[in-house]
Amino acid sequence: MTPAESDITALQGALAAEHAAVYGYGVAGAMLSGADRTAAHADWIAHQKARDSLEGMLTRLGATPVAASAAYQLPFAVTDLAEARALAVLLEEGVTQAYLAVVAVRDKTLRSFGALAMQPPANRAAAWRGRTIAFPGMPAS
Amino acid sequence: MLSRRQLLAVSAGSLPALLSLNACKGPAVPAVLKGPPPVSDQTTMLLHAVTEEQNLIWLYGKAIAAYPELPLSPLLAEHRQHLARLSARVIEPPGKKVPGTVTAKPAIGVTRAAAVAQLRAAEQRAVQVLLSRLGGASPSLAQLYASVAASEATHVTVLDSAGLDSTGLDSASRS
Repeated sequence: MTPAESDITALQGALAAEHAAVYGYGVAGAMLSGADRTAAHADWIAHQKARDSLEGMLTRLGATPVAASAAYQLPFAVTDLAEARALAVLLEEGVTQAYLAVVAVRDKTLRSFGALAMQPPANRAAAWRGRTIAFPGMPAS
Repeated sequence: MLSRRQLLAVSAGSLPALLSLNACKGPAVPAVLKGPPPVSDQTTMLLHAVTEEQNLIWLYGKAIAAYPELPLSPLLAEHRQHLARLSARVIEPPGKKVPGTVTAKPAIGVTRAAAVAQLRAAEQRAVQVLLSRLGGASPSLAQLYASVAASEATHVTVLDSAGLDSTGLDSASRS
């Protein structure tokens, strides 16, 4: 069955968010040390794996996966530990939000994929933030 | 064959009889208007989700009362937010109210570790149930279920730490 265009668009959005996270952790990791740096490295690897997985899915669906940008505009300068942690939270929230968009597609299998894929970034965001939130991926009301 | 005049006379004479017959039977009511419409599957699932949040809130309340040293209040507060958001999505069908009662009141674990394990299991179950409802929900409701499930998955992680670390929940944090 031919995938709906909205399915591909949602998956491309998730892939773009994973690309951004891979780039962003490279920046954040440079400002971290010790356990934080170890955690950031593990998270960076997790995003690489998720990126590869999404690229495979899109290729199997007959789409050309979006490529990473050469560079990304960071939302703020990352010059210290606190800013590096804040960037990590932002990256994870962005990825969670992108997977939430996948949950809105019609295909039931993709919906489940999106919902499950939200959980690791929601957990990582909570870990970097130091607290959980009620509605991961949803815009703040 | 009746003439036009005879026909009119018959009609005029039978009109009172026809009216009285209609008065007894009333106008024909289409079947769809004879009672409240059946509750849709989506609404039924939503009402169940509301009940499940109420059950979780009840369980957290009991755990906090029994083990006040456990920092569970932030998790309880998030469940209250889940309940409010889910309840707000219910358009009450005629004859059906948003459930206001807790349907499961298990005894709370007799040790702190048992209580944490009980909460953890309840959260995990709630995540699975929410995920099982995605297919039958509208896109926006599916997103709400997925977001609540992701939140509850983070609770599982927090409770994992709480069960292992006697100092509380802070070990779940990287900061």
